[in-house]
Amino acid sequence: MVVTLERDEVSELIRSEDMWEPIGPTPMPEIPDLRNWSMRLLKTYKPFYAPFCDLCCFCTYGKCDLTAGKKGACGIDIASQQARMVLIACCMGLSAHGAHARHLIDYLIERLGEDYKIDLGMQVNVEAPIARTVTGLKPETLGDLRKVVEYVERGLIHLVSSTHTGQEGSNLDFEVKNLHAGMLDLLVMEAADIAQIVGFGYPTSIADTPLVDIGWGSIDRTKAMVLCIGHNAASANAVIDYLRANDLEDEVEVCGICCTAHDVTRYSDKAKVIGPLSRQLFFLRCGIADVIVTDEQCVLTNVPEEARKTGAALIAASDKICYGLENATERETDEIVQEMVEEGKQFVIFDPEKAGEVAARVAIKIAPRRKKGFIDEAEAQELAKGCEKCKAYMCSQACPNLLPIQQGMQQAAEGSFDRLRSLFDQCFTCGKCEQECPRHLPVVKIMQSVATKETFKLRSGRGPIHDVEIRKVGSPIVLGTIPGIVAFVGCSNYPAAGDIAEMAEEFAKRKYIVCLSGCAAMVAAMKKDEEGKTIYEKYPPDFDAGCILNVGSCVANSHIAGAAIKVANIFATLPSRANYEVIADYILNRVGACGVAWGAYSQKAATIGTGFNRWGVPVVLGPHSSKYRRLYLSRKEEDDWTVMDGRTGQLVDTQEPTPEHLAYVIESKERAMVTIPKLCMRRNDTPQGRQIKLTHYISLYKRYMGTLPDDLHHVVRSTRDIPLVYKKEVMAYLKEVGWKEKPALSLPTLIGTYPSKVRPEAVIH
Amino acid sequence: MAEVMKLPFWRVNVLTGLKGARVIEDPRECASLIRRAKRPLFVAGPRAIDHYFDNGKTSLEYVLEIARLVNMPTCATAHVKKRMLELGIKPDSVYDIIEIINHLKDPDWQGVRKEGNHDLIVFSGIRCELAELGLSTLKHFAPHLKTMALCRYSHPNADYAQPILSDEKWKGYFEEVVTNLQH
Ligand code: SF4
Ligand code: SF4
Ligand code: SF4
Repeated sequence: MVVTLERDEVSELIRSEDMWEPIGPTPMPEIPDLRNWSMRLLKTYKPFYAPFCDLCCFCTYGKCDLTAGKKGACGIDIASQQARMVLIACCMGLSAHGAHARHLIDYLIERLGEDYKIDLGMQVNVEAPIARTVTGLKPETLGDLRKVVEYVERGLIHLVSSTHTGQEGSNLDFEVKNLHAGMLDLLVMEAADIAQIVGFGYPTSIADTPLVDIGWGSIDRTKAMVLCIGHNAASANAVIDYLRANDLEDEVEVCGICCTAHDVTRYSDKAKVIGPLSRQLFFLRCGIADVIVTDEQCVLTNVPEEARKTGAALIAASDKICYGLENATERETDEIVQEMVEEGKQFVIFDPEKAGEVAARVAIKIAPRRKKGFIDEAEAQELAKGCEKCKAYMCSQACPNLLPIQQGMQQAAEGSFDRLRSLFDQCFTCGKCEQECPRHLPVVKIMQSVATKETFKLRSGRGPIHDVEIRKVGSPIVLGTIPGIVAFVGCSNYPAAGDIAEMAEEFAKRKYIVCLSGCAAMVAAMKKDEEGKTIYEKYPPDFDAGCILNVGSCVANSHIAGAAIKVANIFATLPSRANYEVIADYILNRVGACGVAWGAYSQKAATIGTGFNRWGVPVVLGPHSSKYRRLYLSRKEEDDWTVMDGRTGQLVDTQEPTPEHLAYVIESKERAMVTIPKLCMRRNDTPQGRQIKLTHYISLYKRYMGTLPDDLHHVVRSTRDIPLVYKKEVMAYLKEVGWKEKPALSLPTLIGTYPSKVRPEAVIH
Repeated sequence: MAEVMKLPFWRVNVLTGLKGARVIEDPRECASLIRRAKRPLFVAGPRAIDHYFDNGKTSLEYVLEIARLVNMPTCATAHVKKRMLELGIKPDSVYDIIEIINHLKDPDWQGVRKEGNHDLIVFSGIRCELAELGLSTLKHFAPHLKTMALCRYSHPNADYAQPILSDEKWKGYFEEVVTNLQH
């Protein structure tokens, strides 16, 4: 029994009588519908597991030791248990985005009605490429977006169910479900972002969105300040509404941390971004925020305690995070304000408008009496003298990055702060060091003295990629003459804060299309060149070669997948409606896109990455992401790279590992620099396109590794692929390793190489 | 009952199971394990090129010396290759850390010298959390080989690990291993 919706129900939901495109084979697919596509991907990109824990403690039969071939009492083995843990993580991520979308859409329907039209402006006609392709529905109203969320909710219940003891027993089938969760995740994120764009009037159909201020230096500390943390900007936007309505915008600073910050700057370019989530504790401890408004996802779970320490007021505005506080939603606003100001009470307020008003009024009242500011070097020096240089290095032992904090403290105690400055760059202010230190040295506070107080410029999130941009770049992307789309996404658990700006700029200079989102987009703004400019000021904001654009918050990641789909749909004119496999196959073989989640930390990031993988987009992860436990890897020498030539119907052993991996962890920035261009190669690259891609691969490899790439013979298909500048040395190398020309094919596709309802001719366009 | 190493230096992400590394306190035993291996492989990570001892030598140089003494092939991960070439040593293979672990998992893989998969893998210079996860992969999925972590922070998921050592003692440990392999 698999079907939860009858065919005619699906048909009604997607309005199948609307013939905007023929309906493909998989409208609103359930787990079994795309199982074969997933299995085909997993045949080439096999799951690789790195168990984070050898045990399972899920049921009362356990704990069970699953080490090296042992099985649990329920029969599960270590590989399946890892895949199950990944599925649990993916379901967490999916439910976080799903609940976020559900909340936003319900809230906006309440305000605007379910028939409120989706209009993304003149430049965006294909409004929801993911929804169109996955569900077969062309969403026209907020009510349609709710249908999308309901479809996702139905899928989620089946996915979570299969993690129960005595359910799925195959790691591969768990991975099928992981890929399904990832697909649903990108779908529901798209619905969330479209809803907030149309419902809150965020910019759309313009690339040149405002440059907004980012960094703690940007805050005017003489003003009252409301700090919004999380991902759901409904309450943050309500603060702006209240200030606007009462002509108070110049009196209160509204700032954000994490994705709420992105979205509130899409609502008001006067709002400011403090920074990525890695700076949350750091900033809370400064006490600069007068009122903290928490919404949902990636918010520290001890904000009430931290707020009390600095005398900041707190409103929790989401049912996801209530902190045990009293629910004041139904109480009189004046009364709430009074109790917060006079008694320091903290409340839950589920009504965004009320939360917005209370936040603004409390901030104005308490700001004048609060002392706020960063400590200076002299104070930091005094505090650092408290380090007793213990032999156990308890701080470093607790630090996830093993940072040599003692050295930093020793030098700070002597009045030299350079070491501490470089440590701050690698620190994500978790505060574990302080906790373990026998003296409870306030390391995070001491770091305030070295944090840059500059103001940087971040381009505010622009939402979907425009159809006209896709028309312009579709051909060069598919031919390979634009060498790739590199998307820096995700959170801030990276090895060093400056890495992302450096990588983004390198690929923009090389005329890749560089997209950013989420915390990655923020941290990329927090680095200036000699002229004091950030990458957003230096590079145009279009979806085009050599440009750098910020799509927006986490949910806006969906627009990057959407752009790849639009290349297939708009440029190649492949019908997308309920046609998942054809579109994903096109992306895998033709669209040279590579995601880089250098600092991925959350379960949501795991889900997003897995979602990109199902669309055929490889994702590079930073070293901490090995803790996700699972990657999708090929072995280029050993694996079978046979695909079908869609035009001739012949199976062809291409001997060409492109893209080589789907989910891949890299240890160093230098290695990432050489891997990204390789993962942008696709079988469909023309010789001219492959030449351009190889030029970048070879030049970066030479810079960071000192020689020609060791695997050139795998990615040079014919002598016409060899870049002219390197011709001589590449030919010599190929001769030395006994390279032979690889077979050419005109329309590479996986369709036809696995059982599918899709007819092979469906890929011909 | 096998010894279980409970805590590495980096107390986060510690071993959560029953099979843990045997700590090789004595450098002579470490040298002997390396010497006895039939097809060992040394996997070098980027931390080995950044870590300088007070005599100006990197930990990479010590491990390369160990590799040279027993004719152990090398695998340069991340961006280590460039530094090895600067030191005048051509790595026998270049894989990134995840790739080499993925190959080692396969008992039929022929190894970097095409003489069969390796029986002892010596790791040094890989970021701790990544190394620990990679060692976990091999612990669970590569029963055909043994792993050794030459890391002063120690590694519970390896088969053989160095104890937690100060910088000075770590250098001494390396020097003793080298001396033992010379004789
Ligand atoms: S779910 Fe299975 S492996 Fe886990 S504790 Fe229960 S019986 Fe053991
Ligand atoms: S706050 Fe920074 S230095 Fe301290 S343990 Fe966390 S990451 Fe390490
Ligand atoms: S744990 Fe505390 S006292 Fe010990 S070295 Fe670290 S900061 Fe200094």
